Amino acid sequence: MACLNETKIQDYIEGGLTAVERSLVRDHLIVCAKCNASYQRYEKLEKSLGEPVYITPPLIIERNVLRMLFPRIPSYSSIFALLAASFLLLVTSIYIYFDFANNSIVQAFQLTSHDTSNWLGSIIKAISTIFSTVYVIFKAINAFFEVIFKVNMGVEIIGLCMLLLLSWSFYLLSRLVFKKIKGSN
Amino acid sequence: MSLDDDQVLIQKILAGKRASFEELMKKHNKRIFGYIYRMVRDEDVAIELTQDFFLKLYHVLDKYNFEYKFTTWAYRICYNMVIDHVRKNPAHIESLENDTIIPKLMDSENYVKEDTLDDLVKEEIREYTWSVVNRIPPKFRELILMRYLQELKYEEIADITQLPVGTVKNRLFKAKEMLKTELEKDGVLK
Ligand SMILES: [Zn+2]
Repeated sequence: MACLNETKIQDYIEGGLTAVERSLVRDHLIVCAKCNASYQRYEKLEKSLGEPVYITPPLIIERNVLRMLFPRIPSYSSIFALLAASFLLLVTSIYIYFDFANNSIVQAFQLTSHDTSNWLGSIIKAISTIFSTVYVIFKAINAFFEVIFKVNMGVEIIGLCMLLLLSWSFYLLSRLVFKKIKGSN
Repeated sequence: MSLDDDQVLIQKILAGKRASFEELMKKHNKRIFGYIYRMVRDEDVAIELTQDFFLKLYHVLDKYNFEYKFTTWAYRICYNMVIDHVRKNPAHIESLENDTIIPKLMDSENYVKEDTLDDLVKEEIREYTWSVVNRIPPKFRELILMRYLQELKYEEIADITQLPVGTVKNRLFKAKEMLKTELEKDGVLK
C-alpha cells in the first residue's frame, strides 16, 4: 500500500473510514515509520486542541453589560427620605450651633408663639418644645456619661452623635413610609 | 419538548428574571470572548465586541426559536458580528488576510532541537499549539475555534457558517495540517 495522505490519517483518527479502510491504514502504520510518525503528531495535536487554552474574560464585560441592560435608578422613596433627613439634620445643627448655651431661640420661639395664636404659633411652640426636650435628654445623657465613665463629653458632641443617629433612623423610616405610599398607589 | 439548561434559562429571562441572564452570560462568556479574542487579536476590541454581543443577545432573545439549539443560534450571532467587524475595519482585514504564519518561539536556524525540546512538557505543547492557532488565516482559524473552543459539531458549524458539512470538514483537516506543519517547523511536534 502506498503511503497515507494527510486526509486519510485524519479520517482514521476521527473514525471516519470504512472497516476495510481502517484495517488497511492500521496495517500500514505498523510497517511505515514515516506515516506512523505523522499519525503520532496528529494524535498529539488533537489532544492539545481538545483541551483549549481559554483566556479568562475580563470581569468588566459582565459588569458593563448588566449595567447597560439594567441601570440602577435611585428610587423616589430614597430620594425623598434623604431630603427629609438632610432637612432635619440642617435645622437641628443650626439650632445646636447657635443656641444650646442660652436657649435664646427657644425663648424667642415661645415669645412669638405667645403673640400669635394661629396655627403657625402652635407649630413654633411644638418645635421649641421638641428642642427643649431634646436638650434635656442630651444633658441627661451627658450627665450619665460623666457619672459612669467620668468624662465630660459636652452636650454638643452628644448632640451631634444623637443627631446623626436620629437622621439615619429618620432616613430609614421615611424610606419605609414613602415606599409604602408608593406601593399602595 | 424537553428543554436543555440553556433553554430553561432563556424561559426564565423571558419571564423577566434578570439573574438568569447573568447566569447565561457567565456560562457562555468564556467561549464567546475566547472566540472573539482569538479572531480579532486585540483585547480592547474583543471586550467591546463581547459586550455588544451580549447586549444584542438580550434584545433578540425573544426571537429565539426553542426548536433549535441555543448555542448554534447564539454563536451564529457572534460569528456574524466578528465578520461585520472585520468588514467595517478594512485595516483589520488586511492584517488578517495577509497574515502568514510566523513562527515566533523556536525560529533560530541552528536551534538545538533534540534535548531542549524534549523538555517541552505536554502543557507547553498545548500552550504553544493554541498560540499557533491565533496565527493561521482567519477562515481556518474560525473553524478550529468553533470545533475545539466552542465545542461544536460539524453540522452545527455548517449551520453557523452556512457552509456544506463536507467543506467544513475539509477545511478543518486543512487547518490541522497547517497547525501540524507549523508545530513541526517549530520543533514542537516531533
Ligand atoms: Zn507510509
